[in-house]
Amino acid sequence: MAGIVIDESRCVGCGLCVKTCPQGAIEIKDKKAHVGDGCIACGMCLDSCKLGAISRTQEKGGEDLDSWKGILVAAEAYEGKLHSVTLELLCKAKELQCDSKCGISAFLMGKDVEKLAQELINHGADTVYLCQDESLAYPTEEPWADALTSVIEKARPEILLFGATEFGRSLAPRVAARLRTGLTADCTVLQIDKETGLLQQTRPAFGGNLMATIVCPNHRPQMATVRPGVFPMGQGEMRQGTVVRLPVPALSGRVQVESAQPAPESKTIADAQIIVAVGRGIGSQKNMQYAYELARLLGGQVGASRPLVDAGWAQYPMQVGQTGKTVAPKLYIACGISGAIQHMAGIGGAETIVAINTDPDAPIFQSAHYAIVGDCVEVLKEMIAQLQK
Amino acid sequence: MKIIVCIKQVPSTNQVKLDPETKTIIRDGRQSVINPFDTYAIEEAVQLKEKLGGKVTALSMGIPATQRILREAMSQGVDEALLLSDRAFAGADTLATAYTLALGARHIGDFDLIVCGRMATDGDTAQIGPELAEDLGVPHVTNVSEILEASDKELLCRKVTDYGTQVVRMKLPGVITVAKDINMPRMASIRGVRESLEAPFTMLGAADTGADPARIGLKGSPTQVVRTFTPEKTVECQFLQGDAKEAAGALCRLLKEEHLTGEEA
Amino acid sequence: MANALIRPMSGEYEEYLRDESRSVGKAESISFPRTTEEVSSILKEMNEKKIPVTVQGSRTGLAAAAVPYEGHAMNLSRMDKVLSCRQDDQTGTFYFTLQPGVLLSELRKMISGKRFQTADWTEEAKAAYTAFCRAPEQFFTPDPTETSASLGGMVNCNASGARSFHYGSVRGYINALKVVLMDGETLTLRRGEQFAQGRKGTLRTDTGKEISFTLPSYQMPHTKNASGYYAEDDMDLIDLFIGSDGTLGVTCEIEIRLLPLPQIIWGVTAFFDQEEKALRYVRLIRGEQLEGCDRFDIHPVSAEFFNGDALEILRREKRENSAFAQIHDIPQQYETAIYVELHGDTEEEMTNRLLELGKAIQQAGGKEEDTWVARSQTDLDRLMFFRHAIPECVNMLIDQRKKKNKEITKLGTDMAVPDAALEETMAMYNTMLKEKGLQSAIWGHVGNNHLHVNILPNDSEEYRKGKELYNDWAAKITAKGGAVSAEHGVGKLKAGFLRVMYGEEHIGEMRQLKKAFDPQNLLNRGNLFAPEEENK
Repeated sequence: MAGIVIDESRCVGCGLCVKTCPQGAIEIKDKKAHVGDGCIACGMCLDSCKLGAISRTQEKGGEDLDSWKGILVAAEAYEGKLHSVTLELLCKAKELQCDSKCGISAFLMGKDVEKLAQELINHGADTVYLCQDESLAYPTEEPWADALTSVIEKARPEILLFGATEFGRSLAPRVAARLRTGLTADCTVLQIDKETGLLQQTRPAFGGNLMATIVCPNHRPQMATVRPGVFPMGQGEMRQGTVVRLPVPALSGRVQVESAQPAPESKTIADAQIIVAVGRGIGSQKNMQYAYELARLLGGQVGASRPLVDAGWAQYPMQVGQTGKTVAPKLYIACGISGAIQHMAGIGGAETIVAINTDPDAPIFQSAHYAIVGDCVEVLKEMIAQLQK
Repeated sequence: MKIIVCIKQVPSTNQVKLDPETKTIIRDGRQSVINPFDTYAIEEAVQLKEKLGGKVTALSMGIPATQRILREAMSQGVDEALLLSDRAFAGADTLATAYTLALGARHIGDFDLIVCGRMATDGDTAQIGPELAEDLGVPHVTNVSEILEASDKELLCRKVTDYGTQVVRMKLPGVITVAKDINMPRMASIRGVRESLEAPFTMLGAADTGADPARIGLKGSPTQVVRTFTPEKTVECQFLQGDAKEAAGALCRLLKEEHLTGEEA
Repeated sequence: MANALIRPMSGEYEEYLRDESRSVGKAESISFPRTTEEVSSILKEMNEKKIPVTVQGSRTGLAAAAVPYEGHAMNLSRMDKVLSCRQDDQTGTFYFTLQPGVLLSELRKMISGKRFQTADWTEEAKAAYTAFCRAPEQFFTPDPTETSASLGGMVNCNASGARSFHYGSVRGYINALKVVLMDGETLTLRRGEQFAQGRKGTLRTDTGKEISFTLPSYQMPHTKNASGYYAEDDMDLIDLFIGSDGTLGVTCEIEIRLLPLPQIIWGVTAFFDQEEKALRYVRLIRGEQLEGCDRFDIHPVSAEFFNGDALEILRREKRENSAFAQIHDIPQQYETAIYVELHGDTEEEMTNRLLELGKAIQQAGGKEEDTWVARSQTDLDRLMFFRHAIPECVNMLIDQRKKKNKEITKLGTDMAVPDAALEETMAMYNTMLKEKGLQSAIWGHVGNNHLHVNILPNDSEEYRKGKELYNDWAAKITAKGGAVSAEHGVGKLKAGFLRVMYGEEHIGEMRQLKKAFDPQNLLNRGNLFAPEEENK
């Protein structure tokens, strides 16, 4: 059943695989393991079996897979600028293609985007498929999917990459379903398997507690989305490339953007990506200005620990912790915060924690990724000076 | 308004525990739950029904025990439930799952709106909503944070984008995926629980839905997991040495390397 | 100071002069030992120099037991290691040995995530730990509301929480203790090994020194209790140390006992339009036979109460403070709330109990639809947030008022009465608060007839009236056969009530008992025995 098979001649019914299966899909019946309905063929059990009794069934198939070649990157532009993830994907595409010369192409669609084609070429695209029209001010899934599928049918790329932006994550599955091919979301590693030539797509699963490597052996293109910032962007260089103009697809008009509102400037700390948080170690109220200045330079917000709010140096909406806001920024810089458990309860979702504190034994260091033992006011001043350069 | 809400059963936690000797995963044996993102979809569907009248049907693909979470949805205001359950559905990736759910939606028939959670906590792919819409040939809007106007003809809603928000009008029938915190999901009352025990529940297999055997389950899944492993543990706290100037310099470099200096990100 | 661990008191340690009771004290020096040996060396030095020592955990106590008034403050927050694991061969029960600074929240995370640091453990402990990881989920039942409490603090005030209604207080889950006495000697106590003879006891320290003592002669109240020394004929002597407010020795190692975690945990908050209906419901779910009602077999593990004033404070905070916005709207007609938690192993059995609960609500005069049922962790967390938000809101209110008038602190009671006295006690609180015209909020562990009455004074005059009321209640509760402190411990703030509860003579006996372990009365001076009596 499913993709996992048990070799009953080897199985001794030890039950290790039962404990390993995250789905609880294996059970022992008559001293042999049996794979049940819940199996998602994740393969966790393969390594658990000491006797090599578990294997995966592979299906061979695909007739004309070899006719698919090259990499296509679906570009994203907004207000006349390319999204950084598009350039990151082109850089990755060059790396994946380094052994073969099948070409990298990019798909670019929108209003007034023609001027961006050369930038795509400079970053590695040999061909840019351009679809431009006044009516395409806001990306919507159906027309974009229509134009993109027409390119895919013509160009037959082996690999198709999207930025895991809000729109990319909405467009890619629509295209995958239309082409009836596989799509892997939010990949953090992409590489070509030397033996099979397949794109190995590694992504976090179970909230990042597990990593899974996924392939799409029998369908083309192999599709993946990648989060912004995962891959480096690389340097562009002046290059020659081809721009292929596409007809504007007929708009179904089933989805219409009536208006767009930019994200409000003064965001709250609850959804800030960068937070400079201040605790009692800041020393005095006038030193708060350094936290504000650093936050401004980093494009972040200022948060505060409870004692600071109690002291009236910061307002309650800035309070981080059990009795304040729970935050999940990419970067949390804790300045002069000792890291009481109540405070730590509010920053569990932070991806990177930097702690600056005079006490080397401060509990905050147990949760920090980067630490500086020292006066946070001095460090703040230095950081501001260096970032202003 | 006839609304379908798609629900997935997920493990109660994403925490992975390892056996200290064998370093393999230990399952915690706790009950599965409704995908937390889907709870907002349920609430939004029920609120729409309460405003406009009609019916909400919960739809899920899963093992027979998924009935439990579908009854839970019915205790929170969903009227009836359809569970697609068959050994042949097992091992489905998002493409095969979306195809299967589309069969379910067609079986329910004549729907105006399908509401999905933004993503599932065990996969985080956010792919089912758009793939389902494509399979059904209807439009979709993702990450809806507010429904501004609704009728059985069209929906005016606000969606969250990477750059802010947009007000979007969609012709129905269509699919939306809703953002977390679009609403505050209600809690069931004891009365709701009691009534859900008797609420209409249907379970269908692959043959009942007329599924193409080549498009469901593992067979219908283009993607295959070839390896699963636990990521290397995050590094211990790295202490940056030197005086304030040196340490601050080292930190600024590290933040730049990790694209954490604001606009460069 | 001869001992390098002892640091002079300075501004940076200011926070160690107070605790959650919001009382502030003073000290000349402070230490942060990491091991039992370090505790012993510090105590020895202090004992020789006759310097009083106040011991602290995470300072979440509400009775100021951890607030130093003089001398040395010994903070155990860095004794936060888990030392060992053990499984009983016969019963399969798991035990962990911890240092006292381990926080309850951390312990819970380690247990549920199976994330213990085992590198320094013996092979035997590691083997037991492997068995623990493979076994069904376990849990440590005591659940005081404040999860940043330290285990040492919980032992010393015999903490409990909502689930104590079914599982009992922390006492039942402590299997062994290592205690350092004021002279630096250590005592090892294991449950089932050292017993009193009647009210006489003898213990031998690890070096063989013999300590003989007489237990107080009082009868403890037949209620939940954390007031003064545990004393019973032929008692297990480990119980003397649990709930002793740190007055006999410093708890340095604690062996806790775990239970298998139930497969299913559900929570139900039921709302009533009248308090008396809610109390009727409490009696029904306790399995009591009431006239005209069925007798129920529901066995909740907790039964928590919130009165109309508490709900009103929450309604207001929800409107004004975004931190509480995630709480569901509480309709105005909801006057009283009762939260119960059910633990069980099968869906079917749990559903049946839930439906029984619905019947009990109706028979008590409530409605099945006025309930919030939590069957997922998310919903359980929501109900927990709701319950915790109430004390949180009250603390914030008090802090605001304290800014205007420094004298004001929260006046929160911690008294329990026997089952029969539930309604009359409630009526007493309501009438007397009304008479004095004081703002208040009442919540607590109604299953054990244990309610926290919180008086919210606006000015000095009201504060004085509140204190009077509080003293008055201590006497009246004692007369009903109740306890003046049921779970917070006596500490410094409730020493006066302890005297009301037990009387001079028994307090004298307790003092004699303490003298056997701490002849110079240096350890946690002021706890249990009011400072004005210290010089007697």
